[in-house]
Amino acid sequence: METAQALTTALAGGKVPDLVLIQGDDLPKFVQQPQNFHDLRGFGAEGIKSDYLDWVISQSTTRNGEILGIPTDVGGMAVAYRTDLFAAAGLPTDREAVGQLWPTWDAFIETGTRYTAATGKAFVDNAATSVFYQAVNQGSQKYYDEAGNLVYDRNPQVKQAFDLALKTIRAGVTAKQSSFSTGWSAAMGQGQFAVLAAPSWMLNAIRMNAPDTNGKWDIATIPGGRGNWGGSYLAIPKRANNPQAAWNYIAETQSPTGQLEHFLVEGSLPTTPSVYQDPRLTSRQEPFFSNAPVGKIYTSSLLGLTPFYIGPDSSAIGQEFLNALTNVEQGAGDPDDAWEAALRNIKTAIGK
Amino acid sequence: MISFPVRAPRRRRMDRVRWWHYLLLSLACVACLFPLYWMFIVATTDTATATQMPPEIAPGGNFFHLAGLVLATVPFLQAILNSLIVATTIGAGQALLCALAGFAFAKLRFPGRNTLFLIVVLTMTVPTQLAIIPQYLIISELGWVDTLQALIVPGLASAFGIFWMRQHIAMTIGDELMQAARIDGASTWQIFWRIAFPIVRPAAFVLGLFGFVTAWNDFLWPFIVLKSPERYTAQIAIKALQNNFAIDLGLAMSGSFLATIPLLILFFFVGKRMVAGILDGAFKG
Amino acid sequence: MRTVTTARASTPPTAPTRERARRHIAGGPVERLTPYAYTAPFFLIFAVFGLFPLLFTFYVALFDWNPIGERTFIGTDNFARMLEDPRFWNATTNTVSIWLLSTVPQLAVALLLAHLLNHARLRFATFFRMSLLVPYITSVAATAIVFAQLFDRDFGLLNWLLGLVGVEPFDFVQSTWGSHVLIATMVAWRWFGYTTLLYLASLRAIPRAIYEASAIDGAGTWQQFRHITIPALRPVIIFTVVTSTIGGLQIFTEPLLISPSAPLTCGPIRQCQTLTLFLYEQGFGQFQFGYGAAIGVALFMIIIVIASINYLLSARIHGAHR
Repeated sequence: METAQALTTALAGGKVPDLVLIQGDDLPKFVQQPQNFHDLRGFGAEGIKSDYLDWVISQSTTRNGEILGIPTDVGGMAVAYRTDLFAAAGLPTDREAVGQLWPTWDAFIETGTRYTAATGKAFVDNAATSVFYQAVNQGSQKYYDEAGNLVYDRNPQVKQAFDLALKTIRAGVTAKQSSFSTGWSAAMGQGQFAVLAAPSWMLNAIRMNAPDTNGKWDIATIPGGRGNWGGSYLAIPKRANNPQAAWNYIAETQSPTGQLEHFLVEGSLPTTPSVYQDPRLTSRQEPFFSNAPVGKIYTSSLLGLTPFYIGPDSSAIGQEFLNALTNVEQGAGDPDDAWEAALRNIKTAIGK
Repeated sequence: MISFPVRAPRRRRMDRVRWWHYLLLSLACVACLFPLYWMFIVATTDTATATQMPPEIAPGGNFFHLAGLVLATVPFLQAILNSLIVATTIGAGQALLCALAGFAFAKLRFPGRNTLFLIVVLTMTVPTQLAIIPQYLIISELGWVDTLQALIVPGLASAFGIFWMRQHIAMTIGDELMQAARIDGASTWQIFWRIAFPIVRPAAFVLGLFGFVTAWNDFLWPFIVLKSPERYTAQIAIKALQNNFAIDLGLAMSGSFLATIPLLILFFFVGKRMVAGILDGAFKG
Repeated sequence: MRTVTTARASTPPTAPTRERARRHIAGGPVERLTPYAYTAPFFLIFAVFGLFPLLFTFYVALFDWNPIGERTFIGTDNFARMLEDPRFWNATTNTVSIWLLSTVPQLAVALLLAHLLNHARLRFATFFRMSLLVPYITSVAATAIVFAQLFDRDFGLLNWLLGLVGVEPFDFVQSTWGSHVLIATMVAWRWFGYTTLLYLASLRAIPRAIYEASAIDGAGTWQQFRHITIPALRPVIIFTVVTSTIGGLQIFTEPLLISPSAPLTCGPIRQCQTLTLFLYEQGFGQFQFGYGAAIGVALFMIIIVIASINYLLSARIHGAHR
């Protein structure tokens, strides 16, 4: 978040670095103002475009076809769960079996009810992020249609995801911890919830927050089987001092081999499908997570994702939906009014 | 102000200090010191200990490990250095510039003196924090974005400091002194530098201290102006620690504590002076 | 308790020397300019970084100004939008509420503590006074993180203590009231020691004999307080009321840092978003400099109005007179 503001203020009239990293959520606003960045086709981006997942690179491409950013990584999506807590609740612990527990979100909520009934503790960290945010990314359309019109209020897939989150809240199976808050970190460390939606970069967060639970986690597929959360892009600001050097860096480090190397070192998921079958990726395991084959799990979650159009206000819209749900979950929000409240707030926020 | 013909040597109340006076004051002290102490506890243990119930109230031994992590995450020592540079320059600058201006208002006669001083006082009522957007635009026009001078230069103007120094100079430097110096052929600068400033140096020093502390703790403006981690001041570095996906309390508290240590050290040495500075500057109208 | 030092001149100047001195003071052209030179830095810096930005805010507010894109003149549209924006009114109520909660108890407590410290025979006086200043020197960012943790719903010390007496854990950050209390506590904590010392300074200047005389006349503690202490403190009370108004209505850092999962809005329903934070969110978060500037203008108006009201109210304290 802060980096987006830092970038904005830099672009607005300060020193710009040669290379900037932009997070996927922030990207649309910058793509709307393409004059701030170099069109990377001028450096040869057209030639390497096909190396990347098409729905990923389409997000950094303007309507006119200018390519403003090269994707560095994506998150993919899965569910991280505590094997010991599952065992204590009488649930299966093998990741295949667990994946079969919840082919749909409704089954996920049911599993949650079972867990909570058995242990008296919360099942999932929160409904807003772990349920709504992931479910809404699984549709063929999100807040805009392909033509770029706003459809957030009419798209049944959005409403469905929203209702799923409300259902989760009503089932009383969430720990009511907002993602990335101190309470969330602490609760994770103390085992106060057993599952959370985990893109590949979340694994690091789990390791940091709950170091004593080494080996007690595993990773299963997410309800719906596919999803993505997060991802970044490298771009070159127009006023960069050394654009050619910046491009050389991008071309080298973000080539399929480059991204594979990065994966092996850092764990960040490549956006270059050509390496997805590489044995080094598919055999990669995480001991902290019971040797789960993270390369395979996460790349599978990416395939089958239908690209949907992300517009400049997508981030603001998504945030208001999240806010409305968090308010119901943790505050005094009325669940029956939540959808309307969200729509009202979105209208105020984006004026449309 | 009430005037009284005879000097009353002991102006404070002489009746007995009750036990509950001490109780209330002690409560106030505990309230003041406890958050700092708690910060220290977490900075020397870790997140897990900090969040266990019942809470841990004894410090642990994890200080250096966490401090090391902090230094690895953000260029913290650099941030401390940046804060030192900015705060010291502002403190010293304010001390000097406010003494100069205060001297001019107090002891020099010139046309428009009273009007100008009134303007100075009025500027104290202007809330400038809300003009951050144009302030940022100006800074970027000057090419000062992501520099330390963007923090220093605006901070040198302190209307309160001028007010304070004027008070002190007016009260401690008599007119006869000025006249005598003039007769001896001194220029205005010489009078200021050799006579007036040495006399009010203690007050200027205290002013500089407060300027230092305020500059050290400034958050909003550095937050907007600074971009690169090497330029961060201590406050922004603390905020940067909070940016990780996993909010490690131990890390955040360790950083917070490290950023407070320089001030605590300073306070240990000159805190009494700061207190005395406030107490001596009793307000007049 | 001001120390008055005067260096004595060797001989008192006689009339003709005084005449010469006066001419000296008038001085040549360079000398005449020195007062302006000495005061110029302040005016220059203030003009560039204080006054001009303020005026420019009014200008920017008339535009739809994307910091990395276009800027188009739209007249007063930003203001019309703002007045109908529920988030603006929400931020305004938050700001005023937080300000009231932080200022009133703070000044009252400071007055009480100053009164307690104003004892000749008080032991550990230096320790008390220095402790009171510790919050003032503590980093703002650090304070916010510490207090947010202490007030945490599930893992905070305060809720644990409340739990000991059977009170359900209260989510300070998520509730409107609670978040205001949390921020107000932080702000009051930071400033009450400094304010206490300010009051103490003025209290020490009141001659004891006044109190004794009034006691002889039969005045009780409360009457002494009302008729001697408060009037004597009038200037410093005015000062603290006005400065805490101006500062307290511009709070930014604390709301920003207590809600890390939704920092710019201070929570999902903007429960603690102050006007300055709203300004920042719109200007730098939503890329709308014009709208942010309009918020700045509104904030300016609000501060001027409230500060003036406060000044007038506190100036009605009857000044001490002989």
